[in-house]
Amino acid sequence: MRVVLVLAGVLLVAVSGAVLVPAAEPVRPFLSAATLGLAMLVLIGLFLQRRESAAPPKPVAEPVRPTPVPPEAHRADAEIVHFLAMLQDKGRLVDFLMDDINAYSDAQVGAAARVVHAGCKGVLQEHFRINPIRTEQEGSTVQVPAGYAAEEYRLIGKLAGAAPFSGVLVHRGWRTDMVKLPELLRRAADRLPAIAPAEVELK
Amino acid sequence: MTARFSLGIDLGTSNCAMALVDLETDRTEILPIPQILSANQLGEKPALASAAYLPHPDEFPPGSFRLPWNAGEEPGIIGQFARDHGALVPDRVAISAKSWLSNPHIDPKQRTLPWRSDSVEEKLSPFECSRRYLQHLRDSFLHTAESRGTPWDLAEGQVVVTVPASFDEVARSLTAEAAEAAGLGHVTLLEEPQAAFYAWSARAGRQWRDAVAPGDVILVCDVGGGTADFSLIAVTDVGGNLELERISVGEHILLGGDNMDLALAYTLQVRLEAEGKALDAWQFLALVHAASRAKITLFEDGTLPEAPIAVPSRGSSLFAKTIATALDRALLSQVILDGFFARTAVDDLPREARRAGLQEFGLPYASDPVISKHLARFLTRSLQNVKASDKLGALVGPRAAGPALMPTAVLFNGGVFKAEPIRARVLELLASWNGGQAVRELAGFEPDLAVAHGAAIYGQHRATGKGMRIKAGTSRSYYIGLEASMLAVPGFRPPVKALCVVPQGMQEGTELLIEDRTFGLVTGQAAEFRFFSSAVRSGDMPGQILPDAERELEETSLLEVELTALPDLPAGQVVPVRMESVVTELGTLELWMKHTNSDRRWKIEFQVRTE
Repeated sequence: MRVVLVLAGVLLVAVSGAVLVPAAEPVRPFLSAATLGLAMLVLIGLFLQRRESAAPPKPVAEPVRPTPVPPEAHRADAEIVHFLAMLQDKGRLVDFLMDDINAYSDAQVGAAARVVHAGCKGVLQEHFRINPIRTEQEGSTVQVPAGYAAEEYRLIGKLAGAAPFSGVLVHRGWRTDMVKLPELLRRAADRLPAIAPAEVELK
Repeated sequence: MTARFSLGIDLGTSNCAMALVDLETDRTEILPIPQILSANQLGEKPALASAAYLPHPDEFPPGSFRLPWNAGEEPGIIGQFARDHGALVPDRVAISAKSWLSNPHIDPKQRTLPWRSDSVEEKLSPFECSRRYLQHLRDSFLHTAESRGTPWDLAEGQVVVTVPASFDEVARSLTAEAAEAAGLGHVTLLEEPQAAFYAWSARAGRQWRDAVAPGDVILVCDVGGGTADFSLIAVTDVGGNLELERISVGEHILLGGDNMDLALAYTLQVRLEAEGKALDAWQFLALVHAASRAKITLFEDGTLPEAPIAVPSRGSSLFAKTIATALDRALLSQVILDGFFARTAVDDLPREARRAGLQEFGLPYASDPVISKHLARFLTRSLQNVKASDKLGALVGPRAAGPALMPTAVLFNGGVFKAEPIRARVLELLASWNGGQAVRELAGFEPDLAVAHGAAIYGQHRATGKGMRIKAGTSRSYYIGLEASMLAVPGFRPPVKALCVVPQGMQEGTELLIEDRTFGLVTGQAAEFRFFSSAVRSGDMPGQILPDAERELEETSLLEVELTALPDLPAGQVVPVRMESVVTELGTLELWMKHTNSDRRWKIEFQVRTE
């Protein structure tokens, strides 16, 4: 379940990365960069939210050294870190987000975005089957049928009465009906897996 | 016992795949193969990269590569991670094992891989690599079957392993032996281009008979990642039924899609360096991948003028150091279409390898990268082969004119031919060789997986006795060398004569006794013979003697037979024997020495090749 949540965030990042790709006009990247920042916030927010709900509120400052965690929670954490590691490995996502974007030109950001887009898209295609929730053109009028799945729609604006609702499709939405993540083979008891190992070339 | 399933295994040079036909439900599917995707990650993919990585003892924490069917031990790493990681640590990865199996310069059972590495503690032999790939496939098949609740026993099924049509008997028997050592039992061997044809016929369904007609000569053109393999199949009408016969196979050509990606990457690298952007070794690998992706993008969408390429740096700063360039259509056409599939004439054959005094020893990669020329050579040799026998000559009839045997239809296979422009170029080339007359395309599908698929279909046809079969038999004729008895002349080596013991096209499940030649063997001593073969001498009959083996044939291996001393045969006595050849039902060749006066016989072993 959590992985799907994180996916939503990550998807947002990948999709906004895609905005950079078709047009290399100088204005677009700023918009998209903002979207990317937003997506990053969503991702961090998700992590925080999950962490809060997993652990009962404890008003003490967390020490930096590893604390013993319940094995199952630890496993879930390790799996999320692993998923992040896949996006980093194939699509350099963490490199992309951790770098200071303001210091570079749009052309440089655009070139880097291509790396992220190609790699992360590969990961998504390999491990998920992703389809839009609505296939109509965005901007067209659509019907939301009675008995719709509430988690698949966010109805905004003037919401009154009973379904079916009619409105303008703002975002087509995304969903996945197949998740095939690789299995984690080994898990250290005292630390989470690395997102990206430090690389040392031996001559 | 009736078989319950047919398992087809494509043991490829760069990728393996596995297909299953459930004979009870008639369902056919490509089986997913669990494998290590990265350190500590297990996942499934339809293909298994044919690469074995031998990790350093301190490289990864224990337990990082445990397969579901191997509780404790970790016998090296096979599959995607082995190939990806091995590209960065090349001294520890064994690749191209299959090409070494058919290499006449090394003993395939010696520990030689990773080739020229001095880092690994213990190397693997090409034979052992093949065995491990097959064992991985076997284990994952059993694992998948069990996890689905259909725990099949391998003895309940028909297992077919594909080999290149160009493999000679030694490489074929090594493959069969590796399969047995991997726990697959006695497997049936099938030539890859034939497998592609079976896959096509199964896909075309009942209509396949309408797509071909008597008189057709079908070229199966299979260009995979690392090899090119060609075959010709003739269609004839026998009493109102369509009959198919494989009439010619090509040579082992180490040239494929990987060469194309490399060529693109080198061209782009030169361009980047001219702009003052240098690439390190890791970035070059990334460039190869990116160029391959860009190639696919451009070939798939003919309207795009260019595909952008971004090569990240190895360091963590993605923005500062990513190198951007683009692959444009002109460059793509120039490198791939005009470089590998040039519009050459039919008599333009590949240039021979340079015979430098000190040649670097390794795999015999094709020295001429133009696939068009290799194809021309194949068609020229095919003509030579069909002309050598009246039987084959009659099959192709009037097509046996001109400089080469021209096909009437072509079936493409292998990842390279996913690109429509490449298929179009080959069709254009064939038409130009065919006096402007078009050669039609039999629409293939899934060019990466068709061979595994076709192998499973062939297994199904064998197990049920229903369905079409390509008449094939041995793809080559085989000979035993006879030392000519001549007066010794200084500086002159007497030619080795050759006795034909297996004719080309000898069918599975047949035996042949060479009556006219008796050998005298001494009991208790090993006797050695030189063994030769040819893929272009379809007319040679068993018992026929060729005057000069070294000029007309290829040396395949040494044969060895030892007659154990027997109670009724005093040690040291000369025993008269005759040669008997057997092609088993499974498609392997066996040679025996048969006692002339009794039914007793001794098996002749193929000696692994050594220089």
